[in-house]
Amino acid sequence: MLDNIEKMNYNNIEILAPVGSYESLTTALNAGCNSVYFGVEQLNMRSRSSTNFTLDDLRVISRTCNDRNIKTYLTINTILYDHDIGLMKTIVNQAKDSGITAIIASDHAVMSYCKSIAMPLHISTQANVTNIETVEFYAAFANVMVLSRELSLRQVAEISRAIERKQIKGPSGELVKLEIFAHGALCMAISGKCYLSLHSNNASANRGACIQNCRKQYIVTDKEDGVELEIDNEYIMSAKDLCTIGFLDKILKSGVNILKIEGRGRSPDYVDTVVRCYKEAVTALQEERYTQERIENWEKQLATVYNRGFWDGYYLGRKMGEWNDSYGSKATEKKIFIARGIKYFDKIEVGEFRVESHSLKKGDKIMVTGPTTGVLKAELGEIRVNDVTVESVSKGDVFSIKMDEIIRPSSKLYKIVSE
Amino acid sequence: MFQIIFHRGKCIGCNGCVEAAPDRWRISRKDGRCNLIEGKEKKGIYRALISIEEYAQNFQAANNCPVRIIQIARI
Repeated sequence: MLDNIEKMNYNNIEILAPVGSYESLTTALNAGCNSVYFGVEQLNMRSRSSTNFTLDDLRVISRTCNDRNIKTYLTINTILYDHDIGLMKTIVNQAKDSGITAIIASDHAVMSYCKSIAMPLHISTQANVTNIETVEFYAAFANVMVLSRELSLRQVAEISRAIERKQIKGPSGELVKLEIFAHGALCMAISGKCYLSLHSNNASANRGACIQNCRKQYIVTDKEDGVELEIDNEYIMSAKDLCTIGFLDKILKSGVNILKIEGRGRSPDYVDTVVRCYKEAVTALQEERYTQERIENWEKQLATVYNRGFWDGYYLGRKMGEWNDSYGSKATEKKIFIARGIKYFDKIEVGEFRVESHSLKKGDKIMVTGPTTGVLKAELGEIRVNDVTVESVSKGDVFSIKMDEIIRPSSKLYKIVSE
Repeated sequence: MFQIIFHRGKCIGCNGCVEAAPDRWRISRKDGRCNLIEGKEKKGIYRALISIEEYAQNFQAANNCPVRIIQIARI
């Protein structure tokens, strides 16, 4: 019986991808996500760092995703002031009219308004859902709860079982579904309760303007004698990134339905790699091919894109976090911008680019990104300049290469270099 | 005289400028971003002239802005 429940759950798992731009949207869809989340205008947790869509984009995003049977979740999860209420209602109305699947919110005003117009709602991790009573409370408003990132899997599983036992149902009439963060950056504070950025720069993290003080290095000064202590070269407030691919079996057995990938501020290649790896891992679990060898391979791939080093978060019962020993990304590969697209020749399947910086030679690993392209990766074969085959090109050169997919002036070509 | 230069498109509606200089800044209830009172718009950038009496308050408003989209220039 238990096996059946587990297998059933493996089959209903949803991979939720972060989308901060049209490039990332196309990438996420191509990589095989089941749903996407994104923000419009300024009332979301990436109002500073991500480009963000506008109200006019809602219809396009909804249509693109609906065509492929992908769910769309719109974040309106900052704290809200009175002057934001008008905009919030405008966004929710437009989301409903555009056919967006659900709103992700943490402020009660959004919850109340969504309920009043029967717009499906998810409770954001910013609301810190950490117990079954809270789940029961929010069930009056929402079908899905994003649990607090600081829970252990044991606690997650207890909440999941209690939903089943108590038959806690959301407005849709179905049992409340649980979502957890599966991969990406973690906050040094309990989500949504950090004031560092506001104190230092008047930039509230809870209005999506976090300047990430926690990612920096600090010196402690003894106020009595002025002696400065550098703290063991550690970035003591900068948590490593969460990675659950090595214990995804345990995650799914806890009864969660949706795996959220963090990173609306990240690049399309991050979205591509992370979504693909988790998609493969879930499929491997469904097909009983989830092996140590495969896990190591996924971990290696995940390390190629932006990361601050990985740890397992709080899911396996850790009390203290793991902290960074360096600033910025530990990605094992970096991408260097080389060229911009000019045009595509359909019949001969050739793309033409202009080199804007650095150089490129035959055999280089390249990546092309674009709003309708998403992410393409390849090894560079023949390069031609004025119909003559060349070994390399440098700044200012216009060159053409064989491409299966259409490229446009919005396409960017990068060289991928191992660190 | 001083000129306030305001890149409104990047405003996140935090209210910080209104707290510092309520006579010059007001949040729009329509789109939740701030309006520079008596500001003239050109290509998405709003400008307004202010006298020395208004300088201190608006200097504070610029400092309060978490996304650094308010500048004050002496003209």
